[in-house]
Amino acid sequence: MPEPFFTETQRDALQEISNLAMGMAATGLSELLDAFIELSVPRVRSVAIGEAAQALREMTGLDGEVTAVRQSFRSGIKGEALVICRSGEIADLATLAQGLGGQSPDEAMSEIELAFDIANVVTGACVSSILDQLGATPVFSPPGLIGGGMSLDGVFRPDALTWDMALLIEVNFSLEDQNFRVHLVMLMAQESICIVRDALDALLGET
Amino acid sequence: MNDTAGQALDCSLSEMVVERVGLGIFVVDRDMNVQMWNRFMHEHSGLSAQQVIGRSLFDSFPDLPRDWLTRKVKSVFLLGNFAFSSWEQRPYLFRFEHDRPITGGVDFMQQNCTFMPLTRGREVVAVCVTIADVTDASIVQREREEALAKLREYANHDGLTGIANRRYFESRLCDEFARWRRHGGELAMLLFDLDHFKKVNDEFGHVAGDAVLRETAQRVSAVVRQENTFGRFGGEEFALLLPATTLDDAMLVAEKVRLTIGSAPVEVDGVHVPVTASCGVAAARAENHDYVSLVNDADAALYTAKREGRNRSVRFA
Repeated sequence: MPEPFFTETQRDALQEISNLAMGMAATGLSELLDAFIELSVPRVRSVAIGEAAQALREMTGLDGEVTAVRQSFRSGIKGEALVICRSGEIADLATLAQGLGGQSPDEAMSEIELAFDIANVVTGACVSSILDQLGATPVFSPPGLIGGGMSLDGVFRPDALTWDMALLIEVNFSLEDQNFRVHLVMLMAQESICIVRDALDALLGET
Repeated sequence: MNDTAGQALDCSLSEMVVERVGLGIFVVDRDMNVQMWNRFMHEHSGLSAQQVIGRSLFDSFPDLPRDWLTRKVKSVFLLGNFAFSSWEQRPYLFRFEHDRPITGGVDFMQQNCTFMPLTRGREVVAVCVTIADVTDASIVQREREEALAKLREYANHDGLTGIANRRYFESRLCDEFARWRRHGGELAMLLFDLDHFKKVNDEFGHVAGDAVLRETAQRVSAVVRQENTFGRFGGEEFALLLPATTLDDAMLVAEKVRLTIGSAPVEVDGVHVPVTASCGVAAARAENHDYVSLVNDADAALYTAKREGRNRSVRFA
């Protein structure tokens, strides 16, 4: 598929940066959760608005009901990050967050608080790592539930969006010995893509 | 003004803003020792910056959820990410009073917390925590949720008797019928009607009529299982949904209901109003293609009960 925004060199550089960033994120997450985290090779794609849901389905392999937590990130480059899992696996996601440390009974956390926590940690680690490579330090919004038991189509509301094209970076991860997968998708709209491109050029110019 | 003076003014302006802002701001290091503490935190906690800075936060506030808070801060140091806490999951971090002691209806100030990494280069050197007072927003949201719950209840219940209304009864019947078509098993229902109710209204007045309907609903509610939906179907007509019940067992329930209704006259303002009921009983059968046809079966049986002299239960045949 032709890449409308990036030259082949820029695209390779973005893939390389994403790989590097996710490696760092995985190290941090493993240390925090005290478990071995397997992160997939990130996939980078530009899509038109009408194809966004379909692209998301292809990239995640999720069809059917999902639960999605979203967060905004803002710096020169801004966008939204989604943490998506099958609706039935939200409890597994919460279990994963139990690894965040010992809990006394009176500090018990609800499933949704645990899910927010783990989504926030994953988003923070992955998005910060990528943007750090591009020389940006993001500020994050609190996590919010887009919906439980929704279809991926419900994630995008094409009529309410102000962009035509978006950059999607997908990475999924799983825990050793667990069979569920959690997907992180970073979405950036047009104006941010231009800034990403400039940042890539700056990096490429250095070498 | 030269640059240095400008920077000094900027710096002191920032400090003044941090002091004055209506937001709790404090900073902790890796060991949870307090590094900074603004006036909001001082005023609400009663402990000044002087009293808390340089000491562990947990020494000053032993009530804090220690494990939870330590873990949040640790994740920020480790990953350099933001962390959050919302009042919806955790109403408050600090036990601060709020400014609605009369109209609030909540125990402590409801708080949204943000944990931010403070970095030098790529190293996180401290974590800044902000505490936003969201008591007002939380009260509005709770009121809205309560109003919605009440609306939902009104939508499903009959105003006079307090039992399920026809719309809700039919939606439950529709669900149970669909389940029965899918999985088989048993499904029965009763349709019963107060005998000569028009005469009650004519002789004793509508107030007495309403009292009889309320009393009937109460008597029947007391003898049927909670999980069996009991509803007012129309004027003086009631319905009872009996999932996993055979026609024979439904007849037993019908007799119990009929005898309960007729057990004693209803007393209204010192007047004794005698009451009896007729009951039609039907169980779902292969010929029923939708729930309406099951209702029609029960209605046909009820008609037979009326025709055969009232105050009796009749099964659909």
